[in-house]
Amino acid sequence: MARLLVVDDERDIRHLYAAELSDEGYKVETAGTGSEAAALLEGQAFDLVVLDIQMKGESGLQVLQKIVKERSDLPVVLCTAFSCYKDDFSSWLADAYVVKSSDLTELKGEIRRLLEKKESSLRRP
Amino acid sequence: MDNGCCWHKEQIAPEDCPYVRPGESELLLNRKKRILKRCFECPHFMEGLKGLDKDPGDPVSLVPCLLDELQALRIQTRELSGQIEVRNREVKFLHEVSLVLQTSVDRDEVIAMALTAVTSGKGFGLNRAILLLVDKERHSLKGYFAVGPGKEEDAGRLWREIEDHNYTLREMARLFFEQRMAAEREKFKGLLEKLSTPLSRGDHLFIRTLNGQLSRHVEDLSRESGIDPEQIAALGVTEVVLVPLVSKERRIGLLIADNVINRRPISTEDLHSLETFALPVSFAIERAALYERLQEELVKLTEAHQRLQDQQELILRMEKMALVGKITANIAHSIRNPLTIIGGFARSLIKNIPPEDEKRRHIESIVREARRLEEVLQEVLNYSESLHPTFDLWDVNQLATGVYGGLREDLELSVIDCRLDLQPGLPMIQLDYKKMVYCLRSIINNAIEALPRGGSLGIRTSGVGDDLQITVTDSGPGISPDVLRSVTSPFFSTKEEGSGLGLSLCARILEAHGATLDIEGCEGDGTAFTIHMKTPKEENHGSTSGG
Repeated sequence: MARLLVVDDERDIRHLYAAELSDEGYKVETAGTGSEAAALLEGQAFDLVVLDIQMKGESGLQVLQKIVKERSDLPVVLCTAFSCYKDDFSSWLADAYVVKSSDLTELKGEIRRLLEKKESSLRRP
Repeated sequence: MDNGCCWHKEQIAPEDCPYVRPGESELLLNRKKRILKRCFECPHFMEGLKGLDKDPGDPVSLVPCLLDELQALRIQTRELSGQIEVRNREVKFLHEVSLVLQTSVDRDEVIAMALTAVTSGKGFGLNRAILLLVDKERHSLKGYFAVGPGKEEDAGRLWREIEDHNYTLREMARLFFEQRMAAEREKFKGLLEKLSTPLSRGDHLFIRTLNGQLSRHVEDLSRESGIDPEQIAALGVTEVVLVPLVSKERRIGLLIADNVINRRPISTEDLHSLETFALPVSFAIERAALYERLQEELVKLTEAHQRLQDQQELILRMEKMALVGKITANIAHSIRNPLTIIGGFARSLIKNIPPEDEKRRHIESIVREARRLEEVLQEVLNYSESLHPTFDLWDVNQLATGVYGGLREDLELSVIDCRLDLQPGLPMIQLDYKKMVYCLRSIINNAIEALPRGGSLGIRTSGVGDDLQITVTDSGPGISPDVLRSVTSPFFSTKEEGSGLGLSLCARILEAHGATLDIEGCEGDGTAFTIHMKTPKEENHGSTSGG
């Protein structure tokens, strides 16, 4: 069972994602701030991170840079209400970029794709 | 002393003395005045006086000595009078020239004044004056203007008609400037063209004289080296004076004057007088030229100011648009989250509700309406983004110049000598300006960091066929093959500071542009980064003016 970390400062978004992604068969942990996320990443192993950009305090992009620097093998899906972040160079470090929508099909698709990619690269000798 | 001479008569008749001129009838009645003024011209009288030294003891014998002295003094007086007349003419003339100088900033008016002075009886009275001026580009000495009679019968008539009115030099010059300048210019067109000489011909008489800054009185042009035979033929004289016009060591032009009509030999006085007035004339011509340049600059400045204003208005409009974009994006953000939550949970719920349940229809409505709102939101955002298209047609030379301008201070601080080599007329190309600026800056920054102790850096744009290239070269230590392989991977950095994102982001930006980055370098021999971009084949956007 793949373990996901959802990072978003909106409680209801965390609830929604956690519920929906659990239904998909993942084990989901949530964090409301960058430092919470860092602590969780420190303590346990995750297979993928879903990360919001616009957060109070440390922004998602700062969290992203840390993850990429320290855990370059950990795939990250950036999730945001803005599409203009696509222009921000730091967001290019993410493996996928999804604009928030009530239809979570795209998000789920990206998560599945990245996990499969990770699987196959691990299976390779 | 009685040899038929009439000196002792108190009154004489006109036929008694051939030396009394018409209009001097007063001398016929006044013996003393007659003796002093005219008798010395009479051989009878002189003979009589010279014969007075018969007896050495007689004081009368001193008369011949006194006579010799008197004659010498008379000759000297005549010479001095002549010189005073010349000086007077000069002073008066210079005074009038200075008047024009103080008031005129029109080059042609100044020139008309100068040449009028050289050729009119009130000035120097030479037959012809020709002015050659150093052109604006400072390539050659060009025949600019000439004054003088075209043929013998014109000689003098030109000035007599206005001199009869007893005009001042200034009035004459003004009349000439207003009435005759165009005609004179036309008359001498051929001559002026023939006399034009490139400044590079240092051996040429004109250029030599101008460079030497000393006037010349050439008595026989045909014996002078470095003047073309056809120029001598065009002048039609062998004797000329050449006066260089120089203002503060700056070469202005050359004044050529001659007596093409009456062939009167040119005197040293003429030359000196011309020299005296060459300086104020040079100064005035230079000043007029400066004034003209100033006017041109003023026009340019006014235009630039206008352009700046237009730009400022454009920037203001863009800022407003950007603000609209920001507001829209913020509203979108505050709406999108709640919509995601409402719609998302509705979708969550619907999965567990059987199709026949009445609640399902209610929840479907929530899902549908949330989706509709999201679509509206996306449209608004798309619109506000379309106001600022990221990809647009740009001139790569402008891009390179802009980036270079932004980094100039850094380059100077690092003691790096930077050359910008732009190929003009490159076609416009579709690119995201902000991203490409970032990209080029990263590459140049990289090169600057490779030159901690200074060196040289080159930014070059070029295009062959549909391949546009921007190349950045540095004289740094080069890159080893290992480093070359990993230089564009994220966080790769050989440097202590910096995120190491620079070149990997560059690679991604270029990928999005369909462009490629070539890095060539060998250890110890500098590095060359080349961005290759393809110009769209089907679209011909014309070319830019380049750089």
